[in-house]
Amino acid sequence: MISRLDSPSRPSGARALALAAAVSVVALAGCRSEEIAHYRVPKSSGSAAPAPAASPMMPASGQVPAPPSPVAGSKLVWTLPARWTETTGGGGMRYATLKAPVGGRLDVSVTVLPGEAGGELANVNRWRGQIGLPALDGPALAKARRPLETKAGTVSLYDFTSEGTAKSRVVAGLAVVDGNSWFIKMTGDAGAVDAARPDFLRIVESLRRDASND
Amino acid sequence: MTLRTTNPVLRALVSLKLTIACLAALMVLVMACTLAQVKLGTWPAVEIYMRAWFVWWDVPGTELRIPVFPGGALVGLVLLVNLFLAQLVRLELAWKKVGLWISHAGLILLVLGEFVTGAFQVESQLAVEEGQTVNYVESPRELELAVIDVTDPAMDDVYSVPAARLERGGAIPIPGTPVAVQVRRFFRNAELARLGPADPPSPVTAGVGTGVAVRERPPVSRDDQTNQAAAFVEPVAGGRSYGTWLVSNGLGAPQSFTHEGRTYQLQLRSRREYLPFAITLKDFRHDVYPGTQIPKNFSSLVTIANPSRGEQRDVLIYMNQPLRYEGKAFYQASFGKGDTLSILQVVENPGWLIPYVSCVLVAIGLIVHFAITLRRSSRRRQAASEA
Repeated sequence: MISRLDSPSRPSGARALALAAAVSVVALAGCRSEEIAHYRVPKSSGSAAPAPAASPMMPASGQVPAPPSPVAGSKLVWTLPARWTETTGGGGMRYATLKAPVGGRLDVSVTVLPGEAGGELANVNRWRGQIGLPALDGPALAKARRPLETKAGTVSLYDFTSEGTAKSRVVAGLAVVDGNSWFIKMTGDAGAVDAARPDFLRIVESLRRDASND
Repeated sequence: MTLRTTNPVLRALVSLKLTIACLAALMVLVMACTLAQVKLGTWPAVEIYMRAWFVWWDVPGTELRIPVFPGGALVGLVLLVNLFLAQLVRLELAWKKVGLWISHAGLILLVLGEFVTGAFQVESQLAVEEGQTVNYVESPRELELAVIDVTDPAMDDVYSVPAARLERGGAIPIPGTPVAVQVRRFFRNAELARLGPADPPSPVTAGVGTGVAVRERPPVSRDDQTNQAAAFVEPVAGGRSYGTWLVSNGLGAPQSFTHEGRTYQLQLRSRREYLPFAITLKDFRHDVYPGTQIPKNFSSLVTIANPSRGEQRDVLIYMNQPLRYEGKAFYQASFGKGDTLSILQVVENPGWLIPYVSCVLVAIGLIVHFAITLRRSSRRRQAASEA
């Protein structure tokens, strides 16, 4: 395009080419694609890059206020079965991430939120929504609940399996301790959840207050 | 210089008056654009005055839009045609004019370069914390709804739906997946707050948005403001609805649902472009002059890892010393999080060399023309003194 500009021996062709090039270049500037792009990328390390809100040049705007920290004095601990491992945190509002020695897709997390954290029904329906199950109402919730007595108090246990050919399953317990809501949740492929379930229930049964925190 | 045409249109197009009119119009546009930046911010002002064919006036109280002035693109195009034709028609093809030919070519290239920049330049950001590795850049002014299949423990399948598509609403099938996203409502800017008793009930039935109130706000465009977009979307897969979700670039944590054993995350975020290499921030430095808080230097020590080239090396990026790699220039632009976060401005412009080449051409042309004129003048003097 640029090299054609210095060819004065054929002015009419060169003129037309330059005009066409300039017009097409300008026309391209107005294009805004609505196509859906697909990328297959390796997972990035750590969390997603922080939004430019962190930059002093681009101050944060109206974020959802972060939930207040859990009140002190209500830390729970548990006993890990053999070959299970745990890491503290793990992104978002997670308190801990547990790893089971089973194959397949499986995620075990402990989350703590202050207060009722939206309530039991909303949280149970959120879990059901994640595996494509319809929401429950109050009486159906009571039917699905299985209370489990622990040293930390009563844990409401739920176990749901999705429909479809490749089934997903979620087993989760919820306990309110000293005004904080504790969620211990295992989700993944139905087979993997099935294999890890006995150990998971042992972890839930071992929940107790952290003596060192009292 | 003699005009070798009688065609009136061509005469008008090659006239010097048109050149002057174009330059005057550009001066007016630059002034108006600069003043408009105070209210609109840099980007919208440049789009309205410089990149548009016309500057439009919205007649108050009506839907009417009237063009009131030629935009930068139109003036640039007319100037380009004017320069080009003037060169062909006015300048004679002779060795004594070679300097002017080169200078004119340089000027034409300069105007053309701005069109290339306008059409192809992509500006984005790369925000990376110390110790973190990032393999993408983000466009802060463009958003996407990312539907990410995170099932594979090593790789993610990212499906990016541009915000412009969300604004149109309706069902958006995600190619290659059984998932379709039904857009219930899109807000270009919204305030998110905890749902209070006075708020209307939220249409959101799943995810973290069930307890969040979304209040629509007018979009902002100034450089120091950011739109917080939000949308109510309903993922449907295999004929089954996974509830209505709130997605927003103001919500930090991604939300997910599982269909037939595959887990999909939903995230409204700045549009990402993935790189064939990764950048790790080893150290960010914010040096100040001793005894003051006056910045002396900002620098980022990064490692580039490019498996396709088998390359892994450290690079120091600091003020005015960008990293140029794979067609992109990474400039040190900002920082945050107690000097542990570095923000690099990433500019990709295939025409970045054009202004340099044009300036060199103009300079060479003027020097050549001066040399030719000097030689001719000295010969005349010599001839006069000999006579």
